[in-house]
Amino acid sequence: MIFRETVPARVTRVAFLGLWLVITLFPLYWITVTSLKAPGDIFSQPLTYWPTALTLENYAGLFAQSDFGVFVANSLLVSLVGATVATLISLLSGYVLARFEFRSKGVLLAAFFVTQMVPSFIALGPLYLMMTKLGLVDSRLGLILVYIGICIPFCTVMLRGFFANVPDALEEAAMIDGCSRLGALFRVIVPVMMPGIIASFIFNFVNCWNELFLSVTLINSTENQTIPTAINGFISSFNVEWGPMAAAAVLTVVPTMLLFAVASRWIVQGLTAGAVKG
Amino acid sequence: MGGRVTTPETIARRPAAGPRPGSGRGAAPRRAFTGRRALTILAFLAPAAVFVGIFTYYPLLTGAQMAFRDWNLSNFTDASWVGLDNFRTVLHDPVLPGVLRNTVIWVVGSLVPQFVIGFAIALWLRRHFRFRGLYQALIFYPWAVSGFLIGILFRWMFNGEFGVVNDLLEKVGLIDSPVPWLAQPSTAMVAVLIANIWYGVTFFAIMILAALQSVPDEILEAAALDGAGRTRTLLQIVVPYIRITLTVTVLLRVIWIFNFPDIIYGMTGGGPADKTHIVTTWLIQVTQRGDYGVAAAIGLMVLVVLLMFSVFYLLALRERGVKR
Amino acid sequence: MTKTLRLLGAGLVTALLVTSCGSSAGSSDDGVELKMVESLTNPARTAVLKGLIEDFEAANPGTTVDLISPPTNSADQKIQQMLQSKKGIDVLEVRDTTVGPFTANGWLRDLAPDLKGWAGWADMTQQAVDYAQGEDGTWYIPYGFYGLSLFYRKDLVEKAGFAGPPASWDELLQQASAIQDPDAGTYGYAFRGGTNGNGNLVTAIEAYVADDLDKANAFKTTDGKSIFAAPEALTAAQTYFDLFEKASPPSSVAWGYPEMVEGFSNGSTAFLLQDPEVIATVGQSTAIKPDQWGTAPLLVGPTGKAAQPVATAGWGMSASTEHAAEATKLIEFLSSGEASTTFTKENSLVPILTSAASDPYYSEGPWASYVTMTNAPDTYLSVIQPRNVDWWTEWTQKADGDVQRVITGDMTPAELLAGWDAYWVEKWAAA
Repeated sequence: MIFRETVPARVTRVAFLGLWLVITLFPLYWITVTSLKAPGDIFSQPLTYWPTALTLENYAGLFAQSDFGVFVANSLLVSLVGATVATLISLLSGYVLARFEFRSKGVLLAAFFVTQMVPSFIALGPLYLMMTKLGLVDSRLGLILVYIGICIPFCTVMLRGFFANVPDALEEAAMIDGCSRLGALFRVIVPVMMPGIIASFIFNFVNCWNELFLSVTLINSTENQTIPTAINGFISSFNVEWGPMAAAAVLTVVPTMLLFAVASRWIVQGLTAGAVKG
Repeated sequence: MGGRVTTPETIARRPAAGPRPGSGRGAAPRRAFTGRRALTILAFLAPAAVFVGIFTYYPLLTGAQMAFRDWNLSNFTDASWVGLDNFRTVLHDPVLPGVLRNTVIWVVGSLVPQFVIGFAIALWLRRHFRFRGLYQALIFYPWAVSGFLIGILFRWMFNGEFGVVNDLLEKVGLIDSPVPWLAQPSTAMVAVLIANIWYGVTFFAIMILAALQSVPDEILEAAALDGAGRTRTLLQIVVPYIRITLTVTVLLRVIWIFNFPDIIYGMTGGGPADKTHIVTTWLIQVTQRGDYGVAAAIGLMVLVVLLMFSVFYLLALRERGVKR
Repeated sequence: MTKTLRLLGAGLVTALLVTSCGSSAGSSDDGVELKMVESLTNPARTAVLKGLIEDFEAANPGTTVDLISPPTNSADQKIQQMLQSKKGIDVLEVRDTTVGPFTANGWLRDLAPDLKGWAGWADMTQQAVDYAQGEDGTWYIPYGFYGLSLFYRKDLVEKAGFAGPPASWDELLQQASAIQDPDAGTYGYAFRGGTNGNGNLVTAIEAYVADDLDKANAFKTTDGKSIFAAPEALTAAQTYFDLFEKASPPSSVAWGYPEMVEGFSNGSTAFLLQDPEVIATVGQSTAIKPDQWGTAPLLVGPTGKAAQPVATAGWGMSASTEHAAEATKLIEFLSSGEASTTFTKENSLVPILTSAASDPYYSEGPWASYVTMTNAPDTYLSVIQPRNVDWWTEWTQKADGDVQRVITGDMTPAELLAGWDAYWVEKWAAA
């Protein structure tokens, strides 16, 4: 900030931030090291923090024993499509909720809020039955549709906050120029709000990428499984093999980590725009 | 003490109260509810309403009505209505008091450290330094890891025999012999809390950092000119300015932490001896034994508790806001 | 920006098309596709099952089988959802613990009419036939039986100065305590404190009350009381919990099946009480060599007897199936001849076919202890636990919790037994 930093303050800051960096990265480091150890070394005492013999055996084993490539592809597909559609739909609903006053608005917002408060576990059984009737059980399309429904409430509220900070003079001008409201929204406002939209998209993507209980419920066959479902399968099948497990964990964390690393600037920027109004 | 100068509060209030450029609040077109306008609203809301209605609300409501029926593994075909029996079963369950206590520990014990550490990181990150972008990119990733996976990661690190946590603590000299973290009632909760704190700090750091960056530098400069100290500036200017973000973030986190069984599910499954069971992991256990009616009753009770909490929380904060 | 959006839109449409095309279409044009779901999934077993299915498909042109293998921990719930939705399930793995609830809802098809006059019945052991043909119908054909034996480390037992593996619970406690050496990372017993941790305690109690045990309901003594009320039960429970105190890894409080097996096959524990299927898993271990371990018969109580609780699972058919004829063929195929032998051998199960008695495979190596047990039915009593009651899952959750409460010091063994006795007395009175 604008205050000059005293020496002790600086030491505290650097020490704290440094410590937190270590704490944050250590689990990732440790699981990576575990994944690179030979199966016998994982349980050897004393623990080695820098294995002398690095091996990709666990990764090879992971791909040999399971269709891990398929799981990655499924997760990517489901998360990309789900997050994109959810963001687009929420753009519309968030826009209306930010720009218009109407009577049932409060009810609608409350209804969105309530979805965050009910443990989704009680809906799993009925959801399965409903999806069977719709012919959407054990299908990636079905999973995508459910994910969209899950993402919309929070995403709408988040985007609504961003819209509120964009002057409505912008789209009014565009509409006077002959744009439709939808046209004005996408041509004029969306570009201004891009960081916020990216932040929302990433939020949705991460939620879909990590979702476990719904996919375990709705997906039956191996070829439709996502990564979390597959990992859940590894841990509960008869022997916990920490090696391939660690390899799977690394491969799951890395894509989202990269996504975050690349987009972290926009995320903060986007949220800053929507911050004051929450 | 600080009454002489233009009080920091008025400074803080000014931009929020005045017509800020770009503020959409109050500026919504006050046209009549014309057909065209109604149509626009409907058309824009329809996709969201359809998706949330079909894929979230329908299953939720169907699930919720099970709370009033004798619905269990051996009785699916025509489950009779039993009124509030399932709720009575929940209230009389000997596990309940422990679960409630654990849930409070879980929520408060996760939230407070997450908030404090997250706030500190956000404050320190507001100052520019070299590699700040890289630093930010590196420490934000826990948020992108699934709770279940975090559970498994930490279960591996807290493993009593081969865990790295014990190894490190022994090297530093804090413990003499390995601690079976997840197997001991006294330490299991600590371990799951550490995992959840590790995961949740990021969310606070991101949200608070974003809010802090929205505080205009002029306000801080004005405060500095007035001779306000660092701590006072923080408490009396910055915090009030980002109050709404803080309020909403804390509320959302309380709700999410409450409803977040993933880490515990992956680490201990609620054990040992139910010592880490929170309401939602308990709900999973009840579901797994096929007591769907009772599970639905627990779910509805969670909803009621969280609703009441949200209302009181928001009312309490509004009250304080008015008084000031 | 609009360009980006258009690109996004185009990508989206493509992706949606890909997904909708990707989902499987159900049954093919003229053939029949059977959906089959397994419950006790593990990778090795799934591979064996897939091989058998290929053989079946080759022998039955026009019929294909789609095997669904949900993870074990949620498999029965998944099966139940599929049965409830009455779609996408023809053949399924029914366990002695799930047959009760599944039939109560009318979800399983009574196979008695379908299998009338089936030649396969003649080749099955009496036990398998008894389990298949229940009083109220034939709900599943067992594919094999599970039974406990003691896996032990020959080298560690020898090093600790013992001549052979323990025969009784007392000897186990003695040997395991002697071997326990936490500093060296060596532990005595792979204690089961997690999921289904109550099972081994009940087995110990049954061994201690074996003389008065009601074999048809092994939770009762012959006088009609629950076994948990017997005075010997307390001695059994104390011995059993001493095993945890003195001879087990501390983290075994939370050990379920995978951790126990892992704890034995990674070489850190000397004794493991488990089903024969572990023979296959331990055989693949890189940490311990075949000459380092063996199996011994189930541990006996003070009167020299042990009770072997029968546990089984098998193949059944959903009531909603539209391909009963083909499904019957599949079940017949899996329950007879080469297919059944392969399945039981590869998964190390006690076989259902009488022909196994003359198969040298079942009298060698790790299997020898099973032969010993089969040949001494008066020492190793075969008993039936009430595993098919509706409240079995509720019971195991409660009982597992109580076991953890005792080993973490929240409850005494006496309190545990009193609670269990009260629980069953109440359930029996209500039923």
